Amino acid sequence: MLKFGIIILCGAGLLACSSVNTLSVKNEQVSITKEYAKENRIDSIVSPYRTELNKEMLEVIAHAPKNFERGKPNGSLNNWSTDAIYSSVKGKIDNDKPSFCLLNWGGLRNSINEGDVTLGDIFKLMPFDNEIVIVEMPIHSLIKMEAYLKERNGEPIGAAYIKNDKLQFKKVTRKKHESFLVVTSDYLMNGGDHMDFFQDKINVTYPGLLMRDAMIQVAKEQKNLIWSDEQRIQFEP
Amino acid sequence: MKRRTFVRNSVVVSGGLLIAPSILAQSTKKSSSAKLTILHTNDTHSNIDPFPENHSKYPGKGGVARRFELIEKIRREEEHVLLLDAGDIFQGTPYFNKFGGILEMKLMTEMGYDVATMGNHDFDGGLEGFVKAREFAKFPFVCSNYNFTNTPIEGHTQDYTIIQKGKIKVGIFGVGVEMKGLVPDIKYGETEYIDPIDVANDRAAELKKKGCDLIICLSHLGYEYSSEKVSDRVLAQKTKNIHLIIGGHTHTFLEKPTEEINLNGDTVLVNQVGWAGINVGRIDFEFDQKMFAKKDVIVVE
Repeated sequence: MLKFGIIILCGAGLLACSSVNTLSVKNEQVSITKEYAKENRIDSIVSPYRTELNKEMLEVIAHAPKNFERGKPNGSLNNWSTDAIYSSVKGKIDNDKPSFCLLNWGGLRNSINEGDVTLGDIFKLMPFDNEIVIVEMPIHSLIKMEAYLKERNGEPIGAAYIKNDKLQFKKVTRKKHESFLVVTSDYLMNGGDHMDFFQDKINVTYPGLLMRDAMIQVAKEQKNLIWSDEQRIQFEP
Repeated sequence: MKRRTFVRNSVVVSGGLLIAPSILAQSTKKSSSAKLTILHTNDTHSNIDPFPENHSKYPGKGGVARRFELIEKIRREEEHVLLLDAGDIFQGTPYFNKFGGILEMKLMTEMGYDVATMGNHDFDGGLEGFVKAREFAKFPFVCSNYNFTNTPIEGHTQDYTIIQKGKIKVGIFGVGVEMKGLVPDIKYGETEYIDPIDVANDRAAELKKKGCDLIICLSHLGYEYSSEKVSDRVLAQKTKNIHLIIGGHTHTFLEKPTEEINLNGDTVLVNQVGWAGINVGRIDFEFDQKMFAKKDVIVVE
C-alpha cells in the first residue's frame, strides 16, 4: 500500500523532508498592500469605468464625526441606519399603532468612516436595490420576533429597545393593541435572513423608496451624521 | 497569452520577494518539477479599487491592480499556477450597481483566473444579469449543486473542469449555498439547489476515476456554523477524495488552512481568505515522483 503524505508548513523556516509519495504543502495568506502598487494594464481597463463612476460617487454628501460600525447586538451603524430608515417614512406610519424599524446586520455592508461621507460610501453601505416596506404584524408574532432576535444575538432596531428579552416600543406601548408596524426592507419581509415570522403579516404599505435613497436623503439632511452608541438591545444571559 | 510566453523565456526574476525564504529557495523553475501553486480569492464583492486610507478596518488594503501585480510576480517564479475564486464576485461597490458585473468579469479574465464558482450575490443581478456579465468571462464557472435547467444560466456553467498542469491533473468542481432565505426568490428563479455533500462525493469520485491527482472543491457554503447548516468543515468531514476546499461566503480570515479528516481518514485542507481581495491565498503543493498513488493514506507530519 502506498503512502501519500501531506506535510503542512506554514510561513517560513522548515523544509519538508519528503519521503516517497509525499505531497508537501506550504501556505501563505498574502496581504494585498501598497507594496504591489504599480501601474499595469488593469488600471487602463478600470480607468474609463472609474471616471464615469467618480463623476457621481465622489460627491461629498455629509460628514461623519466618528466611525460608524455595525455590531452585535448593538452598534453605532445599526442605530444610524435604523433611525434613518424609520425617519424617512415617518409621515407614512400610523401613529396610533406601535411601530419600530428592523433591519439586518448582514445587510449593512460597509462601515461609514470618520470624515467626508460620499455618495459612494452610502452605496457601499447599502448596495442592494431593496425597497422600504411598512409591514403590519399581529401582536402575537412578537414572541417569534423576540425569539429570533435573541437567537441571532440581535439585529439592528430603531424606535424600540429590548429589555429582559422583550421588545419595547418607544412611542406607543404594545398594550391593548392587536397589531404593530415594522419598517423594514422588502428583502427581509420576503423571508431574507430567515425572518420567517413575516409570513404572519396582515398588511403591507410600500412608500416607494429604496433603502439606499432614504439613507442618502437622511445623510444630506443631517449634514453631520448623528452618532449614537445607545445600547438598544440587552439580552438576559 | 503572448505576454506570458515572453515572461517565461526571460530571466527568472529573483530578490525582493514577498514569500518566506524557504519557499523562495524552492521556487526556481525545474522543468520536471511536479509542483503546483494555487492562488485563490473569495468574496471580492466588486472591490476593484483599494480601500480608502481612512477606512476604519482595512486602510489602503486590496485593489485589483495590486492583486494582479502579486499574481504576475508569482507566475514569473512558478511554472504551474492556478488562480481560483470561490464566489461572490458581485455586489459591494458602485461598480456593480452601475455596470452590472461586467468590469469584474473583464478584470478576472485579464488576471487570468482559471476557474470560479458562483456565490449567492452573483445572483443579485438576476439570472439574466449574470449571463450578461458572464459573457465577458473567459474562464469556466463550476456549479455542481445548482440545477439551472430551463433557466437563462443553463449552459453557462459546468459541473466540473479538469486542468492539466505539467504532470499534475487537477479536477475542480464547485458547490454553492442554499438560496432560500438568502437571495430573493425572483433573483434565482427556477434554480434548484441540491444537497452539496451528495454532489461533492459524486463529483470527487468521478474526478478520481478520471485520474485526477488533486481534487479541489470551490465552495460558497461558508466556513462553519453553530447550527446544523452545512459548511466547509462539515463538507470536508463527510466526504472523500477531496484534497482541498477553497471556501467563501462567511468572509472568514484564516491564518492558515484548517485540516479536517474525511470519511476515509484522510486529511482535507479548508482555506478561506476573508473578503474584498484584501488577501490572496497561496497554497503550494509539491508532489514527489510517485505522486500518482492509487490510495491516499494521508500522513500529517
